[in-house]
Amino acid sequence: MGDSIYHSRMRQWFASSPPVTWGIRQLRELLIGALRQGPIPQHVAFVMDGNRRFARNNHLETVEGHNLGFEALARILEVCYKSGVKVVTVYAFSIENFKRSKYEVDALMEMAKTKLTQLSQHGALLDRYGASIRILGQREMVRPDVLERVDAAIKLTEKNTRCILNVCFPYTSREEITGAVQKTVSNFSKPIPPPLKRPFSETHITRNLRAQTNHSVPEDAQSQNSSSRSASTSSSKSSQENGQDYSSADAYPESSAPTLADPADTNEKIREVYPDSESITAETLTANMLTAEAPPLDLLVRTSGVQRLSDFMLWQCHQNTSIVFLDCLWPEFDLRQFLPVLVEWQWQRKKELENSGGRLRDKED
Amino acid sequence: MTTHVDPRERRAFHHDTNENNQQLTAEEREKLLKPYLPEPPSDPASPAGSPERNARKAPKSVRKQKSIRSFLANQLHALVFLITHTIFSVWFRFRRAYHAVVHRIHALYHYHHRTPEYIRKDVAKLDRKPEHVSVILDLNESDDDQGNSGLEGLVHDVCEITAWTVSAGIPMLSVYEQSGILKNYMPQLHSAIMLTLGSYFGEDRKPILTLRAPLIQAFSPPATPPNGNSRPSSPDTPEPLRITVLLLSHTDGRDTMVDLTKTLADMAQKKTIDPEDITTDLINSELRDAVSGEPELLILFSPHVVLKGYPPWQVRLTEIYHVPDNVGVNYQVFLRALYNYAKVEMRFGR
Repeated sequence: MGDSIYHSRMRQWFASSPPVTWGIRQLRELLIGALRQGPIPQHVAFVMDGNRRFARNNHLETVEGHNLGFEALARILEVCYKSGVKVVTVYAFSIENFKRSKYEVDALMEMAKTKLTQLSQHGALLDRYGASIRILGQREMVRPDVLERVDAAIKLTEKNTRCILNVCFPYTSREEITGAVQKTVSNFSKPIPPPLKRPFSETHITRNLRAQTNHSVPEDAQSQNSSSRSASTSSSKSSQENGQDYSSADAYPESSAPTLADPADTNEKIREVYPDSESITAETLTANMLTAEAPPLDLLVRTSGVQRLSDFMLWQCHQNTSIVFLDCLWPEFDLRQFLPVLVEWQWQRKKELENSGGRLRDKED
Repeated sequence: MTTHVDPRERRAFHHDTNENNQQLTAEEREKLLKPYLPEPPSDPASPAGSPERNARKAPKSVRKQKSIRSFLANQLHALVFLITHTIFSVWFRFRRAYHAVVHRIHALYHYHHRTPEYIRKDVAKLDRKPEHVSVILDLNESDDDQGNSGLEGLVHDVCEITAWTVSAGIPMLSVYEQSGILKNYMPQLHSAIMLTLGSYFGEDRKPILTLRAPLIQAFSPPATPPNGNSRPSSPDTPEPLRITVLLLSHTDGRDTMVDLTKTLADMAQKKTIDPEDITTDLINSELRDAVSGEPELLILFSPHVVLKGYPPWQVRLTEIYHVPDNVGVNYQVFLRALYNYAKVEMRFGR
């Protein structure tokens, strides 16, 4: 017993000695740099599952488990951003999680608050990563004091564009989809503002045309013009007539146009013009999701061996996303577990490209 | 691997205090983090003091050195990339071989022999069985990978899976196939499944099959019920089993939700619904009636998990089971999925 403690101490001392830490850090850098040589997923999502079980297994307090989970997140974010992932989405807190004990929920909120406060003190460092933070989810369910911190952090990082960290705070995918449907419907139920009235009317143009083509006998127009304006002389020079007609066009909106346009106008007021609902597509809904700006989800990783999506990224991940379920718990998750996932993803991508290339070649033959 | 953070740093990260239990200041924290930080952004606009000064002193040589260094680093990374990929592709092949062996061993212990009693015996020890199982199948263009290809292979797979499901006592099966080709052949599929069920259960004890697809009326041919009724049902024969097979395709995923949104938008334009009234429950009940409920278990026969457009709303809490590196439909995967499902403790809210 004492022997094993001694050994673990030795191991700890050895692992934390400067040359070893330096070596490990260099190795990580090397591996990440090597990963960059292949295709890199643009958008990766994580379900950070297993903090509580980790704490239970290691006889720690639940809150400490969450703390270690936060550390694991920091490690993984480092890997992601250094290897060139543009968007990372993490499932931090589900709406269902509010059903947990009040003590735990409060502790989690407190943790979020502390971490965000710390974050806000290091604005310059965040700029180095070029990461901006977004919070996805039902904001109204968050305590106001936490929300204040959240907004401060978002504001601090909003100008960074290199990469994005989406934190799904009180989130469920069904709520997100419902929100997107709601938004789309309300966009399509707003009447299109009636187009601005143009200063030309079709009847006038046709009459003008007629007047031009048979200007030898411009009786109609002539008589009307002369009556309305007591023209000086009816010298039928085309230039003058044009000028006259032009001047009458100015008068149009006041006199004859309203009477002509009125019925149409009242019609429009009765039935408002709406955008065509048939123009709604899957892309419309995608654009109204909370992840609208992010590229399509390439990879979803869930730890702790649970093989469910648990209401996370349903809309985003059901097409071509590789979903990976890992058995390790989230606080243990590191480059060691993540590297095989990434390499396998690259491998699959390569295979797909080869296959599609082969099929294309077959078709060409 | 987690131990590249020394105890002092660990304490700081966890409790935000230094050795003397004092609150860390922002500067102290930045000092701690320094070795972990990436290079400052290399854009010329950044107010980086020292590189600029260096550049003024010896612009050419420094730039050259830098470019050589980055070139060498690139070469090294490419080399390591190649090595890792070689190692991993060897490892993937080994893993595939290993899984194939495990698979064969499973196949030795459990095989259905087209007899429902064997399947019933296999699932007898499971305390928890799903009410609704879903499978994702592929229409294979060629049969390089496995025996079944084309529509015929697909129909064969559906028939077999239906027989296993009904033998295991599960009343609902939904079959997802991306292109939706099966929906065009529902009468043929129905008779093919009935034929397979006949070979499993015997002509007299065939289960009652309902074949459905969203937007298409349930298919149960008129010939079946009279046949079943004409035979005098003696009181000692047990109630025949029932199974519903639901065919799904990619149009039942996003497209259905788009259709729902269109209908809702039309209603909103006619002022018969307020956008505020659209709730999760409303969408849920609409989709449940139009497509299907949530399956408890989704079985994939593909080597890795890709949903390929499976209806997104319905997979919320579904247990997604796949056997790594498995290729093709087979009874072992089906059975292992049921075993796996029975072991899992249901935990809401993660």
